[in-house]
Amino acid sequence: MLDNIPILSLLIFSPLVGILVLLFVRRENGRLLRIIGVAGTVLPLLLAIWLMSGFDYSAGRQLVEQSVWIHLPLPQEFVPAGISQYYLELNYSLAVDGISLTLVFMTALISLMAALASIVHIKKRWKAFYIWFLLLETGMLGVFLSQDLFLFFVFFEVTLVPMFFLIGIWGYKDREKTANKFLLYNGIGSALMLIAFIILITTGGFMVREAATAEGSLALDYVYSGDIQTIMTNMTATDSLVKGAAFTTSPFHMTEGMLTFTFFLLLIAFGIKLPIFPFHTWMLKVHAEAPPSVVMIHSGILLKIGAYGLIRFGMQFFPEQTVDYAWLIALFGVINILYGAILAFVQSDFRLVLAYSSISHMGIVLLGIASLNTTGVGGAVFQLVSHGLISALMFLLVGSYYERTETTMLEKLGGLAKSMPFMSGILLTAGLALLGLPGLSGFISEFLAFVGLFDTMPVMTVLGVAGVLLAAVYVLRAVLSITYGPMNPRFAEVKDARLIEAIPMIVLVAFIILIGIYPAILSETIMPAVSDILNGIGG
Amino acid sequence: MNMVASFLILAAILFCIGLYGALTKRSAIIVLLSVELMLNAVNLNLVAFSRWGIAPNLTGQIFSLFTITIAAVEVAVGIAILIAYYRSKGTSDVRDMNALKR
Amino acid sequence: MEAVYAQYAWLVPLFPLIAFLLILGIGRTANRTGPVIGVIGTSISFVVALLVLFEQMKGDGMAYVWNDLEWIRAGNFVLEMGFEVNPLNALMLVVVTFVSLLVNVYSIGYMKDDARISVFFSYIALFTFSMLALVISENVVQLYIFWELVGVCSFLLIGFWYNKPEARAAAKKAFIVTRIGDVGLFIGILLLVWHMPEHALDFTNIANAFGNGDISGGIATLIAILIFIGAIGKSGQFPLHTWLPDAMEGPTPISALIHAATMVAAGVYLVARMYPVFEASPEALQVVAYVGAFTAIFAAIIALTQRDIKRILAYSTVSQLGYMMMALGIGAYAAGIFHLFTHAFFKALLFLAAGSVIHMLHEQDIFKMGGLWRRMKVTGWTFVIGGLALSGVFPFAGFWSKDAILAEAYHSQPVLFWIGLFTAFLTAFYMARLFFLAFSGPAKSDRASQVLESPFVMTLPLIILAVFSIVAGFVNIPGSDRLATWLTGEAPGEHGSLLVIILSNVVALAGILLGWLMYGKKQLPQDWLSGRAAWAHRLSYRKFYIDELYDYLIVRPLRVIGYFLHLFDEFIVDGIVRLIASMTTALGRTGTRLQNGQLQTYGLVSLLGLVIIAVAFVGWRFVIHAG
Repeated sequence: MLDNIPILSLLIFSPLVGILVLLFVRRENGRLLRIIGVAGTVLPLLLAIWLMSGFDYSAGRQLVEQSVWIHLPLPQEFVPAGISQYYLELNYSLAVDGISLTLVFMTALISLMAALASIVHIKKRWKAFYIWFLLLETGMLGVFLSQDLFLFFVFFEVTLVPMFFLIGIWGYKDREKTANKFLLYNGIGSALMLIAFIILITTGGFMVREAATAEGSLALDYVYSGDIQTIMTNMTATDSLVKGAAFTTSPFHMTEGMLTFTFFLLLIAFGIKLPIFPFHTWMLKVHAEAPPSVVMIHSGILLKIGAYGLIRFGMQFFPEQTVDYAWLIALFGVINILYGAILAFVQSDFRLVLAYSSISHMGIVLLGIASLNTTGVGGAVFQLVSHGLISALMFLLVGSYYERTETTMLEKLGGLAKSMPFMSGILLTAGLALLGLPGLSGFISEFLAFVGLFDTMPVMTVLGVAGVLLAAVYVLRAVLSITYGPMNPRFAEVKDARLIEAIPMIVLVAFIILIGIYPAILSETIMPAVSDILNGIGG
Repeated sequence: MNMVASFLILAAILFCIGLYGALTKRSAIIVLLSVELMLNAVNLNLVAFSRWGIAPNLTGQIFSLFTITIAAVEVAVGIAILIAYYRSKGTSDVRDMNALKR
Repeated sequence: MEAVYAQYAWLVPLFPLIAFLLILGIGRTANRTGPVIGVIGTSISFVVALLVLFEQMKGDGMAYVWNDLEWIRAGNFVLEMGFEVNPLNALMLVVVTFVSLLVNVYSIGYMKDDARISVFFSYIALFTFSMLALVISENVVQLYIFWELVGVCSFLLIGFWYNKPEARAAAKKAFIVTRIGDVGLFIGILLLVWHMPEHALDFTNIANAFGNGDISGGIATLIAILIFIGAIGKSGQFPLHTWLPDAMEGPTPISALIHAATMVAAGVYLVARMYPVFEASPEALQVVAYVGAFTAIFAAIIALTQRDIKRILAYSTVSQLGYMMMALGIGAYAAGIFHLFTHAFFKALLFLAAGSVIHMLHEQDIFKMGGLWRRMKVTGWTFVIGGLALSGVFPFAGFWSKDAILAEAYHSQPVLFWIGLFTAFLTAFYMARLFFLAFSGPAKSDRASQVLESPFVMTLPLIILAVFSIVAGFVNIPGSDRLATWLTGEAPGEHGSLLVIILSNVVALAGILLGWLMYGKKQLPQDWLSGRAAWAHRLSYRKFYIDELYDYLIVRPLRVIGYFLHLFDEFIVDGIVRLIASMTTALGRTGTRLQNGQLQTYGLVSLLGLVIIAVAFVGWRFVIHAG
């Protein structure tokens, strides 16, 4: 049923419907603006659910939509005679597999929750806010579904611009500097990524295509393509122009050094996004200065794009390099885990505790990737989903707390369990999920990642487990000083969560508990896609 | 050396003197004067080519009439702007006119 | 043989879970109905557990396993969930549900005036569910999951009175210290995943793999030690014992339930469940035995000088758990489990009796009590019974189980026997000290002189537990060995010896006598040791300064590292970023000097540019046409 409808394109551009409607609403009509803003995120969620219902879990990559977007003829002086056409072709090409499907659903869900949270936390210029917000959502959905390098890059950039404005206008004290830092850092990452993509398109993207000419005979075309499948085939097949030993003089051949160089370009580019120590400092500022509903999206989804890129491009295009440098990825993973955990322990701002905790949890993703087996990489993807949900929930709570108390400093908050028992209960649950308590989603992802890695790198795994132990320390410190502890008398009268805040909290907690108790619903979706990717590396 | 060359050389020398003045002089009036000098050098060139060029005809001289007119107008407007500027800022030193500075 | 009731063993944890959800759903207003729901839920569980147990007792110790729920599949690694019923966990099911039921009833009285009483009952229900599910877990990962859940419930209950800073600190400490142990268990599980054939993790396969010698030698020892580290954390053995005495900040009913009878026994249960792993490694068994023995005597020494009634009992629990570990370590599997069984009854009894005293007296320092015997008859008598059982006096329950352990130790490792015997002496002594200071003599405060007996809802559980503290030992009298045979499926060796029986009783009675002389009749001065060797007294009273040691060795350095790294992050890592950013800004600023607002500069630059282009153009043409 889904085959005939371009569901993926509809999904990606559905937030634009919201933008269109918002444009016609007057700026002063705050209530209507917020309702339409939220409704604009409901539509992608419904489409995502429809997509999930029509998805065939055993069929791998499916629902391909492809049409020629850029067809750029290149000067024919540089190709041998007899070639009829020589062009650069960048397609508008989308497809979905298990990993993309999960991340798309998560994007739609968290966007809706963040939009709901924004109703309460954002106090000015709703029209602009929701327009940027929906544009951001378009970019994110597009990133996870693109099958062409250039299209991926475009959607990637589309996510940067709205974030710049969302941080810079609706953030806190240091918002403009933070927005600048965000754009600069991610811009550098994008630039590196673009260089790597160009290298890939001009080597692995080269293919010879047979086409019928006007005269009816077959002619050969030389094409540079950005298509991911083409590049993947060329990069992994041992006798292709890129890799084959017979073609060392060909301009499309990539030497060992070139392959490593491009791999590291991608590693750094996505590492800035993930973030990997030492490229993490921009993210700390964003977590501290951006409005909480924006941080929900940022921490919940945008950081995951880094990991997604590493898996999709790093692992699929560079199987040998991934194997050779798995130890390096694991090392960075361990550094992330321990560094993030120790620093989270000494922060006095709750938002920074959560920021360092995100760094720590992304370290587990790196460990999972470094394990090079289905269990570990599956655990990494699991952690993406799990941490996305938990992080979104945490920042939802941060926003609600900030709105009532005007502070996120741990010593100033305290004893709030008495006046806000519901939110304290949710905070405690979220904290337990963050430290990986079994029964909640965090445990199974950490477990799989560690199980996967232990076979090849037991020492790194043990260090990673020590980091999980530290998680208990910093989470309890932060959560307990907010909920229990001596109460600041100013906060004796604050109200507990309103319905509009409680609904996203309950939804996110429900998902966290659901995945924690019965992870098979998620693993069924993810694991086949992960196996496919790993088959390219050799299992 | 033929006649064209000498006229052209003279015009070039005048042009360079004018260019030097336009780029280095401190007083705005001198700059305007230098611009006048450049325009007159151009006129010289036009008339020289009208007489000794490849296809000599009257077009060069007529064009030089245009240039003289435009130059006169431009000087008038330029002096007017300069006077207005002098009235508001009190100086006609080119080095003080840096409102476009970043 | 058809296992009729065993198929429904999954119902046993289910009812407390339903009770938890119900109480949670009704909310804070359920102060009247919450306790009732809790009691009903636990009673139904208890009945089903009894049925399961009786069925297991009739059979030949056959295990029933159901594991058809595929929980997660990740590549080659598949995890299934299910449950298993065998003699060991059927016994545990009954012990847990029984003690939980009695604690539920008791708490109706104890927590009567607390505003959050329904929250309390919901937490107890959640704990009971987790503990029961742990006990019938079918594989090691499932056990780990409920192991952690039990830890969370313990955390929530220790910190129940969260307005007290000591309670908060104790809850955090409990969670973190047990987590350290859990790390060991987790790494042990990781090792098992990769060494077990087909990554199978259920107990049946583990027993086979280790029993057949498929996994042996260094790996087996490593796995066993790591698992034991997990048990050390949960059962409060040295060096991870520091959380247990602090856990006494929680309400006394849960000290009885969690920190005496059930959760702390989970460590012993884990070792017992994974016994084939330990049997494959004699070195690991030695470690277990010696750690257990050391903990037993270590904790007993500390208990000698404590003033808080609950702390004395807490250290006593640590000490008795040491006995159980020692038993398992020397190969006396049945004796260790037997002691777990009897200990659950008399320790829970002692805690609930202490709770009765605390509830009516609002005091926990035994030096401020006195003369309670006259006024709280039921509490007093049940306390005596519990104390005698703990001291191991014939014919109370504790005697039979402790004797079984000592007999086995005498036979195989005499060193441990003498340690165990001396510890028995100390145990009897400190219990006598406790009893005489608290119950006999004149009342040392006004409240003590006017105290009344606790309400029936609290004394009833005391009486029931007292009865069991007397008769529970009779299931395994040397000579009949019914329990041992049933548990292990084979007849144990005959190691009972009359000498041991006599010695242990003599030692226990001597301890009681000494305690009576010092604290009861006051014939001996109370400070004959503390006066002469004050350092010894201080070492014991200050718990050998272990807490302070951990603080200086671990907590403070961690904080220092954290601050140092924070500075590093702020100034060096971010500094480099800011340096790059400022470099680009500086570059830009250099460029802006070109924009000086001077028209003449612009003109000059344009002229230069024009000249360069012209030269290039002409030069290019020249080159093209010349070459």
